Amino acid sequence: MLSEALNAIRAFMEQGGEILFLLLGVTFIMWVLIVERLWYFSLEYRKQKSRVVEAWESRRERRSWYAHKIRTAMISEVNHDLNKSVNLIKTLVALCPLIGLLGTVTGMIEVFAVLGNTGSSSARAMADGVSKATIPTMSGMVAALSGLFLSTYIERRAKRESERLEDSLTMDH
Amino acid sequence: MKKFIATAAIVLAGFSVTAQAQQADLDALLKKVQDGTLNEEAAHKQREAEFRANQAQQQNLLNAERRTTAQLERESARLEEQRRVNEQEITNQLEIQRNRLGQLQELFGVLQQAAGDARAVISGSHVTIDNPNRMDPINVLVAKAADDAQLPTIEDIEAWPAQMLLEMIGSGQIKTFQHEVGRNDGNKEVIDLTRIGDFGLVGNGRYYTLTNNGDVQELARQPSGRFTGTVDGFQSASSGDIVGLGLDPTRGQLLNIEVEKATLEDHLANGGPIGYITLGLGAIGVLLAVIQWLYLFVVGGKVRSQIRKDEANTNNPLGRVLAVYESNKNVDVETLELKLDEAILKETPALERFLTVVKLISAVAPLFGLLGTVTGMIQTFQAITLFGAGDPQAMAGGISAALITTVEGLVVAIPTLLLHSFVSGSSKSIIHVLEEQSAGIIAVHAEKEGANA
Repeated sequence: MLSEALNAIRAFMEQGGEILFLLLGVTFIMWVLIVERLWYFSLEYRKQKSRVVEAWESRRERRSWYAHKIRTAMISEVNHDLNKSVNLIKTLVALCPLIGLLGTVTGMIEVFAVLGNTGSSSARAMADGVSKATIPTMSGMVAALSGLFLSTYIERRAKRESERLEDSLTMDH
Repeated sequence: MKKFIATAAIVLAGFSVTAQAQQADLDALLKKVQDGTLNEEAAHKQREAEFRANQAQQQNLLNAERRTTAQLERESARLEEQRRVNEQEITNQLEIQRNRLGQLQELFGVLQQAAGDARAVISGSHVTIDNPNRMDPINVLVAKAADDAQLPTIEDIEAWPAQMLLEMIGSGQIKTFQHEVGRNDGNKEVIDLTRIGDFGLVGNGRYYTLTNNGDVQELARQPSGRFTGTVDGFQSASSGDIVGLGLDPTRGQLLNIEVEKATLEDHLANGGPIGYITLGLGAIGVLLAVIQWLYLFVVGGKVRSQIRKDEANTNNPLGRVLAVYESNKNVDVETLELKLDEAILKETPALERFLTVVKLISAVAPLFGLLGTVTGMIQTFQAITLFGAGDPQAMAGGISAALITTVEGLVVAIPTLLLHSFVSGSSKSIIHVLEEQSAGIIAVHAEKEGANA
């Protein structure tokens, strides 16, 4: 069962050409970053937030210019951690269709080169190029879609958490 | 007036002198012609007399010729009759032959066809290289089978299964022998050539191919080193060893496709000037991004160590902002904020250097690629307008070349986009520290000093 699935994947990769390996690498990195973000939000961030809130609450006064600036710095530090690698994830999502397009164009070149060399439009001779021309675009789209939802979710979550933190660091004590 | 008359008189005198001389010439000519006419008349009369004397002889000659014609016409009719009779005889004899051959007629038809097929197989087979002269018996068989006048003998027919057997044995054996090969530089040399069944020829670390006229020629472009590297090990292996060899199971078709495949240089040449511009922009973009990334890496390290230290060090942006605070410790907070903003504004351009250029290149490269593709397509379609769409080869080659620039555009856009994302990430994190945390760091320092004081 497992080896059958592996064989199917291997056949798919061979049909699509070398560009699929690049796409696989990019998708893998993208998902590692996404999973790291989700893990951070669900575990790390809570500890960090309670640490910051405690540090702020334990201050003697919270109204002066100095206090104001220290609060901004605290929020900014958390913000930096919240938004870490969000831009990179968005770039990788944008790269996936581009890489797919690259594979498609190289596949098309292969199709037309076969056509140009042999002068025949025999489907069998062109089959290699045709599958290289179609599979990468589809794979690129699928990879981008798989990342797109979560990258949007992560971006919105980071924004919301930052706003909540700002609300919880009150100044009117 | 006098002068004119005198001149006219002189001209007239000259003219009359010339006219006198011409008159004398014409008289002489007339006399000559008259003499000539007299002479000719005499000759004619003489010739007429001769003809009259010979008239009887001419008549005799004519009669003789007429007799000969009649005789030849009779002979011709006789031969015509003979030919007709012979033709009838040939038809009869052929009918008799057909009757006597009976089923054998079909047998020889099949034999001729099979022998023709065998000749095609053998002439294109690698086995023929080390078994020369095996074409002759097959050629004799095919010639006799096709001829009405003679039948192939049993020896002739036996050549066919013998050659097919040789073909079968030969296509199963791996054989090394000395043979003359043609090199790509036009010279010929004798090398140890190894024939692998009927599949291919290797030797001397190269692949060879069998040309249509039976010569062995080096492959115009050798396959990659992954394959050619296996040849020497294969040739030097002794019997019983198991060694790997890159083999073309299609008897040379795949190797020929390999020869026709465009190399990287061909692709670059197809891309044309637009392709080179795109790649040049890409190289500039990557270079600038890497330079800025290294710079930001160094600066980022210094800024992080500055956050941990108390005294301001002016070798980094954050240190310079903190130094502004240290030299303005006694001013009120609003003035201090303005001064800090000014210091931060001064630092940002160096941190954001090259970023716009890299972003621009990553956006422009695919457009350049599209431009190159469209111009290539225009050229292709112009060629179609001129020469018609009858030649898909020319059209497909043009389209394939036109698409190269799109590939080059994407090849530039993908790494520059990724690098821009990395570099702008590290640049933003430093600017973040400067804009939002420097005031906080100053506040912490001030409170510490206040607590100590």
